[in-house]
Amino acid sequence: MVTALEDSVVEELGATLEEDGAVLTNVTSRAMRARVPAPFPVHRWFEYMPQVVVLPRTAEQVSEIVKFANQHGIPVVPRAGGTGLADGAVPLRGGIMVDIKRMDEIKEIDLVNRTVTVGPGINMLKLNEQLRKHGVMYPDDPASYPCSLVGGRIGTGGWSLLGARYGHTRDLVVSMQVVLPTGEIVEIGDGGGRKLRKSSTGLNLKQLFTGHQGTLGITTEATLELVPRAECEFAAFFAFDDYMKAHLTTGTLARSGLATLAGVVLFDERKLAYLRRDDEAYIPQPDWVVSAVAATLYGTRAEVEPASKRVMELGRSAGGKYVGDEISWGDWASRHDRYATPLHGRLPSGEVVPMCWHCEDAALSYSELPKVREEWHAIVQRYIDEYGIFDDWGMFAYTNSAYKPWGDYLVEIDVGIWEEKLNDETWAGWVNLKREIAEVSLRHGGSITACHGATRVGDAELVPTEMGSAWEVVKRVKRALDPNNVMNPGKQMLDEAYVSSDGDGSG
Amino acid sequence: MTDDTYKQGTYRPSEQEPPKPKPIADGVVSRFEHVLEVDPTLMRRFEQQYQPVWETKRIVDSRWEHLRWMHDHFADEVLVAGEESETGAE
Repeated sequence: MVTALEDSVVEELGATLEEDGAVLTNVTSRAMRARVPAPFPVHRWFEYMPQVVVLPRTAEQVSEIVKFANQHGIPVVPRAGGTGLADGAVPLRGGIMVDIKRMDEIKEIDLVNRTVTVGPGINMLKLNEQLRKHGVMYPDDPASYPCSLVGGRIGTGGWSLLGARYGHTRDLVVSMQVVLPTGEIVEIGDGGGRKLRKSSTGLNLKQLFTGHQGTLGITTEATLELVPRAECEFAAFFAFDDYMKAHLTTGTLARSGLATLAGVVLFDERKLAYLRRDDEAYIPQPDWVVSAVAATLYGTRAEVEPASKRVMELGRSAGGKYVGDEISWGDWASRHDRYATPLHGRLPSGEVVPMCWHCEDAALSYSELPKVREEWHAIVQRYIDEYGIFDDWGMFAYTNSAYKPWGDYLVEIDVGIWEEKLNDETWAGWVNLKREIAEVSLRHGGSITACHGATRVGDAELVPTEMGSAWEVVKRVKRALDPNNVMNPGKQMLDEAYVSSDGDGSG
Repeated sequence: MTDDTYKQGTYRPSEQEPPKPKPIADGVVSRFEHVLEVDPTLMRRFEQQYQPVWETKRIVDSRWEHLRWMHDHFADEVLVAGEESETGAE
């Protein structure tokens, strides 16, 4: 149970930040930062609240806060937009929450070397509004595009809708400034050089500090890639009477070699059933439509226009039927902003109830998609039958590799959870469901998570298994950088880094 | 891509009573063309709220505006295949 911090801690933080509203201890400010949109044990909300929230503006302030916390053994949890779907920003042991939203400056736009340097608290949509006048954009495009922040994207190692064309978050960060768990401010790049994309000097630390879920430090500045703003975009959706035909078409499109291809998405039967239930675009579709594939292109008109003809050919190559311009136009646009969708689900009786949303985000090879689909749906159905508070919202698979969209896929099963009905028993049921889904991914040679992070109960226990022989290295890195285990403690089983060989926790 | 059908126009109280819903599919009803609603009989735990005509049109129009704006945010021009649906959906 989290207890109150001593008044002297709050006073010390106030002296560091010296700004009204920069140190918050009221219940509302802490409670609203306790969870993320993922399913949450609402009946135990108070167990996940930070004891104090701080809103710094500079790296030096973050450094002072972290040094202080490290000296006193107080947990520190970084939080950006709070839009993550794996609890990376949820405090497990209270402590100081470092909310970086005020660090939202655009510090430099370098159109010659094609970089933009920003604070971690800026949102991609707001950043791109400023970049548009220069004919460039920062193409990191999650489904939370209008509300997630650059710092959170780096912390989670995010995935982008346009990743097959432009790369994902880890490919788009050129360099960054990080406050380590001991408070030092360090510059992290491919080697040295804030604006260099490729170096062979020393060790490449950049990837280590991308996707660590706030367990290795706090990003306080990032230099990001700029790409030419697209002259033209194209999206086409195809309907299928058989999942395997859609699966085949997905692979064909992904391997097409079209350089402007930004993504290919495969929707399965349960996803179509879900959409046909509640989505204006799909309700009118005839019964034979049981699967769908979407492909999208971005680039110059000279590239996109001829490539669009090829997409239309390949989309129909295994029996796909074009769904028409209106759905293709509207459905694609809506994918940039899935957080605007009010969520509800259905009970087994068909009745409507408000539900929150879990989306599994495994990384899986193309060949495994049909089998995993069967196993995942069977698991979810078993828990629906047992508990009556879950709903299967179907699956999709989306090209997952940067620049070369073949091979592996971000695979999601969306599950609705009636949160109001959660108690210790139903929450334990949910966690077991979650763990069974993750175990299937590992059995098929996949990863628990392509982009959200393995930081939630039900996933985290399996991190050592997935890391395998590299787990010992991971623990040594964590302990070397965070000797007192203050940075987002309790996540990803990293507490094991501090357990000595005789298990007494004194290691 | 645009649809001006749902520009909400002026709020006139005499025009706000929505038409009776017609069944469209299993569990789906419709009062306006292309505007679909969950069958109210499935919303007994959380009842469907009364919505004036003007409000429905405002929401639909806002949705179109949002989608147009989202496209414009990412690219100067949107290409479509320029072909009819092949699925037979109305």
